[in-house]
Amino acid sequence: MSDAVLSARDLVVRRTSRSGVFELRVDALDLAAGSVLAVLGPNGAGKSTLLRTLAGLEKPSAGRIERRARGPVTLVFQRPIAFAGSVAHNVDVALAGQGLPREARQARVAEALAHFDIARLAARNAHTLSGGELRRLALARAFALQPAVWLLDEPFDDLDPAGQESLSLDLRRAIDGTNAAVAVVTHDRRRALLLSDRIAVLLAGRLAQQGGREEVLARPTSVPVAQLVGMENRVDGELVPPRGGEENGALVVDAQHRIPVRAEVCRGRSTGQWLAGIRPERLKVDVGRGEGVPIGKAVVRTVVSDGVAVIVTVVWAGRELRTYLLAGRGLARSLAPGDSVTLSVRPEDVHLLAP
Amino acid sequence: MTELSLPLVLAVTARTLAVCGTALAIALLAGLPIGIWLGRQRFRGRVLGVSLVNSGMGAPPVVIGLLVSMLFWRSGPLGFLEWMYSPRAMVIAQVVIALPLVIGITLAAVGALDEDWELQARTLGIPRGRRLWLLLREIRLGVLAAVIAALGAILSEVGAVLAVGGNLEGETRVLTTAILMYTQMGQFELALALAAVLLGLTLVVAGALTVVQQGGRA
Repeated sequence: MSDAVLSARDLVVRRTSRSGVFELRVDALDLAAGSVLAVLGPNGAGKSTLLRTLAGLEKPSAGRIERRARGPVTLVFQRPIAFAGSVAHNVDVALAGQGLPREARQARVAEALAHFDIARLAARNAHTLSGGELRRLALARAFALQPAVWLLDEPFDDLDPAGQESLSLDLRRAIDGTNAAVAVVTHDRRRALLLSDRIAVLLAGRLAQQGGREEVLARPTSVPVAQLVGMENRVDGELVPPRGGEENGALVVDAQHRIPVRAEVCRGRSTGQWLAGIRPERLKVDVGRGEGVPIGKAVVRTVVSDGVAVIVTVVWAGRELRTYLLAGRGLARSLAPGDSVTLSVRPEDVHLLAP
Repeated sequence: MTELSLPLVLAVTARTLAVCGTALAIALLAGLPIGIWLGRQRFRGRVLGVSLVNSGMGAPPVVIGLLVSMLFWRSGPLGFLEWMYSPRAMVIAQVVIALPLVIGITLAAVGALDEDWELQARTLGIPRGRRLWLLLREIRLGVLAAVIAALGAILSEVGAVLAVGGNLEGETRVLTTAILMYTQMGQFELALALAAVLLGLTLVVAGALTVVQQGGRA
């Protein structure tokens, strides 16, 4: 990537712990100015190690980190740490190394505190802050540095849902106002998606996939990645390519059930056993509106709502599939377990995964 | 029989403060960096160092007096300095008593910090000198505890200063050795008067430091 301000090449980081030797390997990873990369992965995948290495806090055993950034590279830790003193002092002390005049520093401190909605806490002793306030302080402190590269390690940890919501909006605004290259590490996919335009998936110390956000969400390269990025519906079947003149091939699940697969997706893939991956939000229940290809009848099993989204599970061809509806709208108001519905999907929303 | 005179009490008190103050200053100057270093670095042999410090914290002063005496004895390795029975030898003995306390309490305070504390300061680009200042500020309650413990130990200690100082009038007589001497002579009035001064001193010092310590917690 040409506008990369921080790049990792052929990186190997080894850490020895009580549970053995952990090895992180990243062949190539770039952080570009004005872009937000979400690093997704389960606990222990090496996400924090990756961030620390990118920040220069851990020495790789092999490979290199190329810094072309003009400004600071800073990392906000998973467990935010405040220094003794007031909230304002905590931000000010971070600016001490930048050789700014006093007034400029004060203005930056005020701006950063306001950005993260903690201006009212400026005089408070930082060691008396709540978890959420402390996290905001840590973010404000890093933000005040006007970093060229901003690395965030689990910025939504131990916040209640309302706190996560408002912090993700503040963070989004803060990022939008800069041209920083941002990497955010999280196991919370939804939070990561609120911020990012690129996704890297880390599994057991290996970069399993990276790319544009929509690309990774729609076309995960493996089942573990699919699980991680929320491609919940994975149906096994036999791939049958389109016969002369047909627009779509199909994944044949059984005699009555088949899922349309676009011809270009079939092309280059062997016939035989595949998994059809369909994101829940792309699976439609009870259509009639002509959107997508009907794939047959299903029976509703559970309907649960968090007030915003409704999660509906249905049984189709003996398998449980999942779909999301918006609460309080249309079908979501009337659907109940035991109801019979028709499922449909657009062929372009069907992705093939090797089983 | 020695008369209890104000100049005498003042002189003994002043000498006590001078010896203890010097010893404390040296112990802090040496002990704080060592404590910070031991508390932060992970290296082979660290556990040995820490256990050495821990046992030093409880070392009997009279044994330290014996060892320092052997060091400065005329035929000892440092005998040529002719420091035996001088305030310098007393300062050395008290530094040996205070140093493990300062190191031990400092390293405990540093150890109680988040293990990423240093990295956090570094990733914010805070310069080295400023980081050290921030660290001292962070562990200031521990540092004050170290001062209180060290000063309390050397102010009230008698075995080591008697062994290396010899309780020479006008030269190495300090409050504790004077109290001991007058007690043995049966001059309880004098002993009591000096004891009152010593007690007052420890109370004032501990009280003042406690006020500072608790104030810093607000």
